[in-house]
Amino acid sequence: MFAVVLKNGFLVVLFALLGVFAVQAETVQTPKQVVEEFQAALIDVMKQGKALGFQGRYDKLYPAIMRSHDLTKIARIVVGKEWEALTPDQQNSLAEVFTKLSVASYAHNFKDFSGESFQFDNAEETSRGGVVVHTTLNIPNDKPVKFDYMLKEKTNGWAVINIIANGVSDLALKRSEYTSILQRQGFDALIAQINDKIASYSKL
Amino acid sequence: MVYNSPSKKKLLAIIVGILAFSTGCAATTSEGGVAPVDPYESINRPVYSFNSKVDNYLAKPIADGYRFITPDFMQSGVRNFFNNLQDVGVVLNDILQAKFEQGLHDFGRLGMNTTLGLMGMFDVASDVGFEKHNEDFGQTLAVWGVPQGSYLVLPFLGPTTMRELPGYVVDAAANPGTYVGVAAPLAGLGLLNARANAEGALQFVNEAALDPYVFTREAFLQWRNYQASDGKVDASQGIDDIEGDVIADPQTDKAHAASGSSKAPVLGATPTEVKPVKPKTTYTDARKAFEEADAKLRALKSKK
Repeated sequence: MFAVVLKNGFLVVLFALLGVFAVQAETVQTPKQVVEEFQAALIDVMKQGKALGFQGRYDKLYPAIMRSHDLTKIARIVVGKEWEALTPDQQNSLAEVFTKLSVASYAHNFKDFSGESFQFDNAEETSRGGVVVHTTLNIPNDKPVKFDYMLKEKTNGWAVINIIANGVSDLALKRSEYTSILQRQGFDALIAQINDKIASYSKL
Repeated sequence: MVYNSPSKKKLLAIIVGILAFSTGCAATTSEGGVAPVDPYESINRPVYSFNSKVDNYLAKPIADGYRFITPDFMQSGVRNFFNNLQDVGVVLNDILQAKFEQGLHDFGRLGMNTTLGLMGMFDVASDVGFEKHNEDFGQTLAVWGVPQGSYLVLPFLGPTTMRELPGYVVDAAANPGTYVGVAAPLAGLGLLNARANAEGALQFVNEAALDPYVFTREAFLQWRNYQASDGKVDASQGIDDIEGDVIADPQTDKAHAASGSSKAPVLGATPTEVKPVKPKTTYTDARKAFEEADAKLRALKSKK
């Protein structure tokens, strides 16, 4: 009896230690590693794209995006100063639908594979303590697309807060759209429209 | 493409006039909800939906038909042909922007594709590593430091800015297609080709945008800035601006508010025009490059 307790206690300690190591191992990821891990997951999903279907791609991409992106912060930047005017409930539901929309748009747009590959170009620090990772998406028989990832450090490591494709910033685009809708039509209309988008992504 | 030569000068004069006027009164309006780059939104929006209708009921069906009945190799031949005509203007704008090395490269492209590429039907230059550059008079004006001016949506022609307007005339004048006897059918084929090539992008806008008008405006302005600066726009710049507005510490926020309402960032404001393409630096760079090339030429002459 005592031996069993001792053994269990030992196991608990062991797992706790393993857990600590695991957390430490995650925090040492550099911005470059965060981006490359995400891109590898994306390419992997594209390769199995047809077989997985929309829902399959969504389920596989969800953890990869959650690990590499700081979606709450993105949602906050996207609505700008309006964020402060929202109730905590509204902030939560915005962050939630925004996360769903981001994953759904990846699942919709990266649905098949025709030899694409990501290539790391370089990384640079920005004035406000962020890092930009420059990469290129090479597409066979087509012009390469430059993907620049802007990362910021959060409590448990680096996370993507913006993607700039060939100079067009996703964050700036969404911010203009969302603030304009918030001001003209209000919060509920914005959430409803985002939900419509998610639904249409899953059907297309 | 569509302009007849007699009216060209007159049109240019009018447009230059509009441009001069616009630069004077740019960024004066910044009332709540209106993006500073888009003071004419109340006119632009109806024109945008008009264009979308024309596109839906006329241009798209025709372009779809064209894509359906025309074999892929013919489509790429047509695309290459029009790209080659454009390369004349690319060379001209290379020179105007003091990009002499790139100008030589593009001149080589033009020569190779016009001869070996059978009047531009085949893009042989790209195959041997002379990739295509994208320059036009709108970018040249940006390099020269002309302010972007207000965003406009023109009937049939689509998104543009005040600064782009002279480009319609100059680029048409630099395009050999304008002077060919069969100009009208050629222009028609050019438009058809452009619409067919844009199919993917337009579909993406319809799928991704909550408000296609705002989406198109932002994407267009960012894309043109990126082209004008040859992709050297600082990727973090826009974000830090955005972030500065939102997640700055309360003290800076107060400082912002104290500095006067006209300076406070308008919600929904377009971050693109807040800091343009650093025109002064680009202009200085261009002038420096020009002076260096000039000095080299003089040195060569004096040797002879």
